[in-house]
Amino acid sequence: MATEAPAAVRQQARTPSGSGRSLARATLGGIVIALPVLVLAAVILWFAPTYYVRLATVALVNLIIVVGLQTFMGNSNTAHLGHSAFVAIGAYAVAILATPLNMKKLSIPDAPFGLSHVVLDPVVAGAVALLVVGVLAAVTGRIIARLSGIAATIVSLAFLIVTHSTILNWTDLFKGNQGFFGIPRVVDIYWMLAFATLSIVAARIFKDSKYGLQLRASAQSPQAAAAFGVNAKGLRFGAWILSGLICGLAGILYAYFVGTISPRVFYFHQVMMTLAMLILGGMGTVTGAVTGVIALSVLLEFIRGIESGVTVAGIQLPQVLGLSGVALGAVIVLSMAFRPDGIAGRYELDEQIARLFSRRPPASDPSTATVEASRELL
Amino acid sequence: MDYFLQQLLNALAFGAEYSLVALGLAVVFSIMGLVNFAHGEIIAVSAYTVLFAVALGLQSPLLAILLAVVAAGVVAIAFERVAFRPVRNAPVTTGLLTAFGVSIVVQNLFVLFVSPKPQAVSILNGINQIWFVGPLAISALQVMELVVAAVTIVALVLFLNKSTLGLAMRAASRDFATVRLMGVKANRVIAAAFAISGTLAGIAAVFIIARRGSVTPDMGFSLVLKAFVACVIGGFGSLAGAAAGGMLLGFIEVGLLVALPQEYGGLRDTFTYLLIIALLVYRPEGLLGRKVELGDKEI
Repeated sequence: MATEAPAAVRQQARTPSGSGRSLARATLGGIVIALPVLVLAAVILWFAPTYYVRLATVALVNLIIVVGLQTFMGNSNTAHLGHSAFVAIGAYAVAILATPLNMKKLSIPDAPFGLSHVVLDPVVAGAVALLVVGVLAAVTGRIIARLSGIAATIVSLAFLIVTHSTILNWTDLFKGNQGFFGIPRVVDIYWMLAFATLSIVAARIFKDSKYGLQLRASAQSPQAAAAFGVNAKGLRFGAWILSGLICGLAGILYAYFVGTISPRVFYFHQVMMTLAMLILGGMGTVTGAVTGVIALSVLLEFIRGIESGVTVAGIQLPQVLGLSGVALGAVIVLSMAFRPDGIAGRYELDEQIARLFSRRPPASDPSTATVEASRELL
Repeated sequence: MDYFLQQLLNALAFGAEYSLVALGLAVVFSIMGLVNFAHGEIIAVSAYTVLFAVALGLQSPLLAILLAVVAAGVVAIAFERVAFRPVRNAPVTTGLLTAFGVSIVVQNLFVLFVSPKPQAVSILNGINQIWFVGPLAISALQVMELVVAAVTIVALVLFLNKSTLGLAMRAASRDFATVRLMGVKANRVIAAAFAISGTLAGIAAVFIIARRGSVTPDMGFSLVLKAFVACVIGGFGSLAGAAAGGMLLGFIEVGLLVALPQEYGGLRDTFTYLLIIALLVYRPEGLLGRKVELGDKEI
């Protein structure tokens, strides 16, 4: 087993070496992945009623979260169940920093550190919020990077619970269970699209970079990667921070889009939903993240219609709560049993297109690939 | 002094419950490497079975206890057969996510077919008494929980050490392939592991129903998160570690409850988890876990 190079390395081996060209290639690849999203959004903007535009914007928030989740989970192959904590921290940071003073007098008059008298420009507040997320990600990442797979998953979950219960109980600063309202609504679907594209490209560049490749190799075969001198802990740390930042960005955008946030939005339901999206699409690729979000957003919208009680042939069916939850869980279980690589499989969209048009046999000779890959790793 | 004894008993009872649930997780993990997030739902199914039985006319508390334990064992085996067998040889992450999915499905089935709201189950309330021993008021439930947990753990240790199947299970946790070469059926060992894990969960479920007097769809989930934490503290996969971790967690929680002022009571979970994370910084492999270096032989 140790003599065979990990699949990620083999797959990478066919891309041309040279960091400039691979960067351009990864950027282009990211844009190709984002294209279906942009086209779908354009169709919705032109043809669909306003209600669907709003739905699409929320789906884009989920897209950014799932891309952020993929950055850590897909590359390190460690289940991450605490990403919503970063979404919550980003959202609450801008809520505290950017909400106008008169609103703050109503909602958090006794905020510590004089925060009830501070108001920042939304852009500055967003930057500060990202900084806060980054610092917290760095602190938690130090721990996560040290732990093995399962312990890391449990600690990521513990981090979610700690964050949630802090927001819920530190009412002076976070306003607790009630919604935090009055956040300036400065983000619309166009901004969301721009940042979603940016996240996709960033995640793809990371995945195809030297670091992403090394991290994926270390996830597939820790021993082989360590023998190459790959610093798995450092890479996990980096991926955790990048993942946290992308999720935090999603939280910031969400707060700026809806204007009112409450802690339960960023709890288990969001974790389950985004996780199901990533698993359905395929967690190994950024394409998978995008595919899963699109597929599951559509499915969930159908189910939500049934859940709130539909009228079939003149008969009003009763509300069926819990149906979407059953569907989300079933999606996870069935994907894992029948298609663990997800809908998208192991290749990114641009790679799939390239394979479609290439006349070369799809898999190159493993032995030469190993040599190429080892060169590239070093 | 009374107060101290009271809190000590509290901590022991909490710890016993966490230990029972954590042991159930560890038994399954040590043998097939499955991180069973659906363990809490075994507790929930057991509790809902009692709810249904009461609705159908069950009146004897003893029968209810028996039913809860048997139902938990049966449903654990059923989970393995339906959901976990297809991913048995898959990577740990796949099994973990499958179990997470099963947990979500079962929780929401209760929301869908019963109700998202708590349902009252009063059949076991009789156990929840107060005993007066001299100047002390002792919760009978807590004493029983402690005794039953201790007896169960002793029985588990005896089973694992004295019976052939127990021996096969201990061997399987080291090297499953060799155990199969000795002519032991893999399905049997794994089914036994799930039956034990389910029975432990069922015993915990009895005490939870008696204490709360109601059932909710997510009643097992938060408990199982704590049990996971107990496993991680003790060292994942180690049975002794799970039991010790559960006890330690009970003491940490009650200690915080005593130490924290009233207005910070809501932050108890925060402090509990922060303490545990801090512990893991110093001992990433847990208290009783073995430090494994890359390339170490699996012994």
